[in-house]
Amino acid sequence: MEVLDNLYLGFSHIFILENLIYCFLGVFIGTLIGVLPGIGPVGAMSILLPATFKTSPIGSIIMLGGIYYGAMYGGSTTSILVNIPGEAASVVTCLDGYQMARHGRAGPALGIAAFGSFIAGTLSIVGLMLIAPPLASIALRFGPPEYFSLMCLGLTILIYLASGSIIRALMMAVFGVIIGCVGQDAETGSPRFVFGIYDLMDGIGLAPFVMGLFGISEVFLNIEQVLKERNIFETKLKRLFPNLQDWKDSAMPIMRGSILGFLLGILPGGGAVISSFASYGIEKKISKHPEKFGKGAIEGVAGPESANNSATGGAFIPLLTLGIPPNVVMALLLGALMMHGVTPGPRLIQENPVIFWGVVASMYVGNGMLLLLNLPLIGLWVQVLKVPYKILFPLIILFCVIGAYSINNSTFDIAIMLIFGVLGYLMRKYNFEGAPMVLAFVLGPMLENALRLSLLMSDGSFLIFFNRPIAAGGMIVTILMLISCIVPVIRKKREAIPLEEA
Amino acid sequence: MTRHQRLGSIFWLVVGIYVAIASYQLGLGRLHKPGPGFIFFLSSLILIILGIIDLVGNLKRPKIEKEKKAEPIWRGFRWHKVLLVLGGIVAYIYFLNLLGFLLSTFLLMVFLYKAVEPTRWWVAILSSLITTVVSYGIFRVWLQVPFPPGILEF
Repeated sequence: MEVLDNLYLGFSHIFILENLIYCFLGVFIGTLIGVLPGIGPVGAMSILLPATFKTSPIGSIIMLGGIYYGAMYGGSTTSILVNIPGEAASVVTCLDGYQMARHGRAGPALGIAAFGSFIAGTLSIVGLMLIAPPLASIALRFGPPEYFSLMCLGLTILIYLASGSIIRALMMAVFGVIIGCVGQDAETGSPRFVFGIYDLMDGIGLAPFVMGLFGISEVFLNIEQVLKERNIFETKLKRLFPNLQDWKDSAMPIMRGSILGFLLGILPGGGAVISSFASYGIEKKISKHPEKFGKGAIEGVAGPESANNSATGGAFIPLLTLGIPPNVVMALLLGALMMHGVTPGPRLIQENPVIFWGVVASMYVGNGMLLLLNLPLIGLWVQVLKVPYKILFPLIILFCVIGAYSINNSTFDIAIMLIFGVLGYLMRKYNFEGAPMVLAFVLGPMLENALRLSLLMSDGSFLIFFNRPIAAGGMIVTILMLISCIVPVIRKKREAIPLEEA
Repeated sequence: MTRHQRLGSIFWLVVGIYVAIASYQLGLGRLHKPGPGFIFFLSSLILIILGIIDLVGNLKRPKIEKEKKAEPIWRGFRWHKVLLVLGGIVAYIYFLNLLGFLLSTFLLMVFLYKAVEPTRWWVAILSSLITTVVSYGIFRVWLQVPFPPGILEF
């Protein structure tokens, strides 16, 4: 089979010592950074981007990809043990993973996150290998209306997840769109909400925004309470392996998460973020015991963790086959490739098969390395997290500060991070969720672009979103979901959700 | 709790109104050719509507919540510590270019170790020294992040 021949080609380039070392370095640093709250994969990749210029193209993409994977794995560890998401895609894991840890089930939570991620990651690579070429040709037919409706659907799925007020989640999403569009207008070049600050012309950076909203705000929330070590669980993680019942409960969520994550990873926008939220929403919706979600349901960990890893495989598809990065992380990879003179696109597979198949092979190897690293070294990561919080939080702040600075070598990004840190802190105090804002922030510019182009195409008519089948499908489902969320609120049939502590 | 919820809704309502006005001034363009302010205006309108719904919903709630005591969100919390840490980082931003990475980072770390929880001076200073040197080694020497040299010229 041709695929196997190509895979062999890829593996033959991976199993060179130099590339294996890059792979290992990438996954190790990625996991370490993912474990430490504050710097996410975007920050980690930004910091390490210059270091990869010295390597070969395949070496740099292997390492950057490894960081991305590793940060996903690491993020789930810190979400479960400390209730601080290592990065945006791990936010959902906090919901049930942390609750499992509170009930002494941190081990199975971590175990199922690792195994689920490995299984999903492997499945998604298979998907990437088999589906990339034909999917590329279908996606070529997507126009702005389709993109717009799919992004609206994605945001709606996320809001559907909101455990608090739907209205407030919607408000946060809308605000996310607003701040996501800050900067120079792509069409007219006019500055929008930059307040005369040159640094804002390129918009607000995702990394400082997320680091502030989740990382810094979490630090603030922790230090305002008398610091006890209650946040970090002392559970002896002897039993890392989920029991049979856990596997039974998790098997279908892992499968569903893998497929969902893979498909959503292809779409522009959140990728891993949106797929983890979507998976959680779906698992909760179809569960026979939805009331268990938010209180330690293993499905709430297995599904999203699988989805966010599977999304990485999916996210590579538009990057490597179309040259279109579906999210910020892939945009960084695109930048790295172009620095090495490689232009991803439909011809990459023919002209540079080594790059494509080498990346595919490295993902297999990377996934394997992560499973080997993640489980045995959990003890190490836990020791890292057991450091008293009064010692840990200055380190977290320092990492965040350096991480923010190193993106553009500018203190302005540190300031942005602080501003959103304060906002995130206040939002948590006043019961507004940050997650919808983050996703909408990422999708905002793309949404605007798609909306503009669609209206241009339709000469100002919004009917274009309903005339085309794929777009219409997306919009109808979106509207139905919104109605199904809002009508019960209006009818006051929705149970009052007790406002839990963050 | 009700009063806090109201405050929250009002805040976002005000934000929505501000953005609506500012985006209108940016120019909305026409439907077939949306201008730079279009998406902002549309979003802010939605924000305003949602803010009103949220506020009205809160105003209707007192009957249910009258018996529940409002959970304090400021009383009993050490929010002044948050302000201290915030101030420290703001000062760091200011001094980073002036004093350079090494000195400002060291000072920031000492401040953070001391400001929030009681920590012995030697612990704070030693930890700060180690952290500063290690982070310099990792980020400046290895990863070549160009930090401002400041007065120590490193």
